[in-house]
Parts: sequence; C-alpha cells; structure tokens
Amino acid sequence: MYVGIDAGASATKAIIINERGMHISHAIVPSGINFKFSSQKALRKALKDAHLNSGNILHSVATGYGRALIDAESTSSEITCISRGVHKLLPSARTIIDVGGQDSKAIRINEGGRVLNFIMNDKCAAGTGKFLEVMASTLRMPIEELGKLHLKASNPVKISSTCTVFAESEVISHISQGIKIEDVIAGLQDAIAERIYNMCSRIGFAKDFAFTGGVAKSQGFVEALSKKVGAIPLIPEEPQIICALGAALAAIKKHKEK
Amino acid sequence: MTQRRSHILSTTKKITELIMEYFSKAWNAKAEDRPIAWVTVFTPVELLYALDIYPIAPEHFGAMCSARGLALDYLEEAEKEGYSQDLCSYSRCGLGYALSGMNGLMPPPDFLVTFRNSCDVYVKWWQALHMHLKTPLFIGEAPYVLASEDLDNYVLDYVVKQLEQIIEMAKERFGLEFDMEKLVKIVELSDKASKLWSETLELRKYKPCPLGGRDSASDIFPLVVMQGTKEAVEFYEELLAEVKERVRKKEGVIENERFRLLFDGIWLWHAFDLIKYFEDRGAVFVYEPYSDAWAYRMDASKPLESIGRKILHNGLNVDIDLRIDKFLESIKDFQIDGAVLFSNRSCKSWSIPQLVTADILNKDFNVPSIMFEADMADPRQYAEAQIKNRFDAFLEVLSES
Repeated sequence: MYVGIDAGASATKAIIINERGMHISHAIVPSGINFKFSSQKALRKALKDAHLNSGNILHSVATGYGRALIDAESTSSEITCISRGVHKLLPSARTIIDVGGQDSKAIRINEGGRVLNFIMNDKCAAGTGKFLEVMASTLRMPIEELGKLHLKASNPVKISSTCTVFAESEVISHISQGIKIEDVIAGLQDAIAERIYNMCSRIGFAKDFAFTGGVAKSQGFVEALSKKVGAIPLIPEEPQIICALGAALAAIKKHKEK
Repeated sequence: MTQRRSHILSTTKKITELIMEYFSKAWNAKAEDRPIAWVTVFTPVELLYALDIYPIAPEHFGAMCSARGLALDYLEEAEKEGYSQDLCSYSRCGLGYALSGMNGLMPPPDFLVTFRNSCDVYVKWWQALHMHLKTPLFIGEAPYVLASEDLDNYVLDYVVKQLEQIIEMAKERFGLEFDMEKLVKIVELSDKASKLWSETLELRKYKPCPLGGRDSASDIFPLVVMQGTKEAVEFYEELLAEVKERVRKKEGVIENERFRLLFDGIWLWHAFDLIKYFEDRGAVFVYEPYSDAWAYRMDASKPLESIGRKILHNGLNVDIDLRIDKFLESIKDFQIDGAVLFSNRSCKSWSIPQLVTADILNKDFNVPSIMFEADMADPRQYAEAQIKNRFDAFLEVLSES
C-alpha cells in the first residue's frame, strides 16, 4: 500500500492507495497546531478503515504546509501533487483551481499531467478558505451552511473590499441594515470567486477546468465560480483529498525508483 | 534534500570591511567639518566627491539595517511619527533614523540632494527630511527617457544646468570651489569601476556560474555610493581577477549546477538566506537586472554631460519597453531556466512590468517564472513558509521541464 499525507493549513488529509493507484481509504482531520500529531491521527484513522497496519505501507509521501514536520519518506509540493491527483481522476482537465485553507492556486497542466504554469494568491487571506471561515464565524454558523444558504439568495449584495478584516465589517454593516443573510453570503462568495477568477485569468483558462480543495465542497461557492468563469468545473467526488492522492501516487513512483 | 556546498567569493567577504571604512570616513569628514550629503541613489555622487562633499545613501543604509535585523526599530520610529506602513521601507527607515538622533552609521546631513529620476517617493522623502532637519535641500528633475541612446539635447542641457546649480549651491552654502580636473579624474575612476563590474557580470554566462546572488547582492555596494573612488576600482579589480580564476578552474558557486535562474527586483535584505535556499537545491542566480543597473559607462572628456546621462539613463527612468527588452535579452545570453520575480511592496516602480514580463517569458520563451510578494527591508511583510512553499513548487516544475 502507498500513503499520501497532505498537511494543510486547516485540515490534514491521509489517503491509502494500492499499487494501481486505486483508492482504499482516506481520513480528514483538523490540522490544529501540531502537524505531526494530526498526520498520525489521520493516518491511523485511514489504516483502521482499511483494516491495515503501518507494516503494510511500502512508501509514503508528504505534502502541504506541514510536510517537513511529519514522518514520511519523502516530500513533494502541493502544485505537483494536485496536478498529479487531478490528472489521475480527471484526465481531460487542463486548468485546475484549488482553494484551500490558506492558499488558492491556479495550475495549467498538459495532456500528460505535467505542470506548465501556476500561480498562487498573494500574501493575504482574501480569496482562500480562511476568508470563508472568518465570515462563517462572524455570522455564527458552521462553514457548511454558507454554501447551502448561498443557493437561497435572490439578490446578492456587492462586497467591495477584498480584505478579510474590512469585508468582515462590511458584512456586519449589511446585516445591521437588515439585508437578508443569504444575500450577504452570496455576495461574499461572489467576491472570492471574482478574485480567484482574476488570478486564474493571468495564466489563462484552458478547457476543461477542475476545481479542488476543501472549498470545492461548498455548493454555493461552486455556483459563484461557475457563473464567473462561464463553465461548469469538473469536481472530484472528494475534492479535499486530491493533493494527498497526488502525494500517494508519487509514493508509488518513488517506490519503483528505489 | 541534500545540502550543497556553495561558495561565496573571498573578495565578497571583504565588503563588510569596505562598508565600515566608508562610514568611518564619513564620520571623519563630519569631525573635520566637511559637509555630508544624504543622497538618493542615481544622483551625481561623482560631482559631490569632486566638491569634497561626502555622499551617503539612506537607501543603502536601509538595506544594511534590514540585513542586520536593525530595521524594525527605525521603521517603527517613523511609523510613530505618522509615516504610513504603505510607504517605501527605505524611506521609513531613513526617516526613523533621522528622527531618532542619528547616532548610528550615518552622520547627520549638511546637504540633501535628490533627483526625481526613479520614483516619486524620493522627492517627498527628501522634503520630509528637510522639514525635520532644516538642512539645505536640492531637488533635481530628470525627464523620463523614451528612447535608449539618443537623448534630446535640451533634455541633457536641462540636467547639466541643474548640476551647475549644485556647484553654485556648494560655493554659496559651504564655500567650496569646483575643480574640473578633479572631476575628470573621478569620472574616469567611476567609469573604470563600472567597466570592471560589467566585465565581471559577463562572466556569469559561463557554466557553472562563477558568481552567485549572494555575491552580486553585496558586491554592488561600491557602485552605489563610492563611484569615483580608488577603493571601488581596487575592489572590482580584485573581484574580476578572482572570478576569472574561477572560470579558468571551472569552479561554480555550487557543485552540480542544476538550474540557472534570474532574480528580478531588489534583494530581500532581511531574508538573505533565500538565495542559499535556492543554492541548496541546485539553483543558482546568474543574472539580476538589479545588479546590472549599477554599471554605467562614462566619458571623462565630457564629465558633466556624462553624469547627466547617467542620471537620466538609470533603469527606472527609461521606458518600460526598454527595460523589458533588456530583461528578455538576458534569458538567452545567460541560458536562464527560470525567473524569480519579487513583487516588492516598497518599490512599485521596479515591480510594475513583472506581470507583462512573466507573460512573455511563458508564452514566447517557454521559461517558467514565479512571482512572490514581500518587502525588501520590512520583515513584517514577509510570509516565510508561504513563500518557500511556492519556491519548492517552482523548483519541482523546473525539474520536470
């Protein structure tokens, strides 16, 4: 068996695959402040689900922010891992948008899955999952609710600030003016979609485009992004583990090279 | 990842001593009542030396403070006074120093000299210094240059007339006499140092590259504030000899050079280890437009005109297309595999063409590039994990291509 662990800024993901790259099990746990601990927890969980133990692991590759801090035989960057993971599941994809906890990325790949170009958000949190987390907490609701409520919006407001802190006060001011919460939420997601779309335009959209990362689980956000791009993204069944999958695929390759 | 041995040139190691000597000479000049000028870079340093005015560049000081982890105190000092964090960090550092007693490396100025030839901050910064310190101020104007070589005569005349005004001011304010012969000698030395530096940079075309980013970032210093001095020429002679020797022995900055990179922007002085980060992964910087910017050939037979041309032709005062052309030329000449573009919060005049450049590199040259945002001197604007993460991904892309 081969393991990929993606120690992300918000969540740590572990995946187990077999030598043909088929998914066996996976687990997603919050990263917290200790990557070593969260990665062990995720891996234990995945192993348990698959009725395996650590002796079954032939090679493991770590990726994500915490990759250097966890126990794995080798490391690889998220850009390469996401591309590899997407190429495996959605071979027609040529553009990938990945929105995670701390980063958003746009990647162009060729027909072989090789990275041609990529771009990441600048230093600030706007346009990342963190932005949505902050807004969900301001609105006192679980983050999953944002996506659902978005779909009920009839008249989205315009959020003009892309700064997380200023956008938060803008949200509070809209709510206090009696604007419906779903319209505020839709406005927020539109603002991020716009930011991500603009970023992606810099490397150019090539069809088909895939959407991955934790934020791809939000139906409302997917709608906002599709509207902005003018196309419906390809989304894997579990978009949050694609980077980990890419790492596990790299583990197969590394093992063969040994 | 295996740590690689990377070699700094032994001449580069002498730069600290040279800088310290330069600043102690400044304090000596102050003790002897010779005037000290605070200048922005790309101002007529040669003319000031000829007038026996000692030039110091607060921009260089800001870079040094940042490299030694001392910038934050001065930055905060300026911010306390109301200077916004959005302002250039060199200017905040210089103003913070001016506002906190000026007891460090730079002696207080007797004269403030700047030209509007690189960025708008210069003028406001120098006006603010003038406001705080009440020191005589000279602000020169240099019209933007649209074509590379042919300057309109009236543009050059205009700048030369302003240089003559500096000469008059020096006489009126400080009783200093101008000596043309002295200037001729200084311009000769300045040209010589530039020529040596250009020749040295040319040798980076060799594989393996004999001079890396950590060298070039330090070695520019004599051309920033010591143009026209004997010491600068001696330094570059020694440097060139050492680099030639490396080329002869086929000795590179790193063993097993994997990637040859271009770095665009001012260096991140507070995060200098980033260069080593690349070197440890087999990537060496072989060209930087910033290092190239300091070499300017002069004609000692026309000293004032030559200084005027130098002021006008600095990289930030010329048409952006010319800058981009030069940038792209280097891709082939230096066999560049990838470009690292530093979008500097403090220096928009430098960072502006980067998006366009990245686009051309990608489409026309098939050269990957990576852009990151930070600040040259303000360590608070630097997200280390995020930036290194991007570099890792970039290096992986390079390994696959």
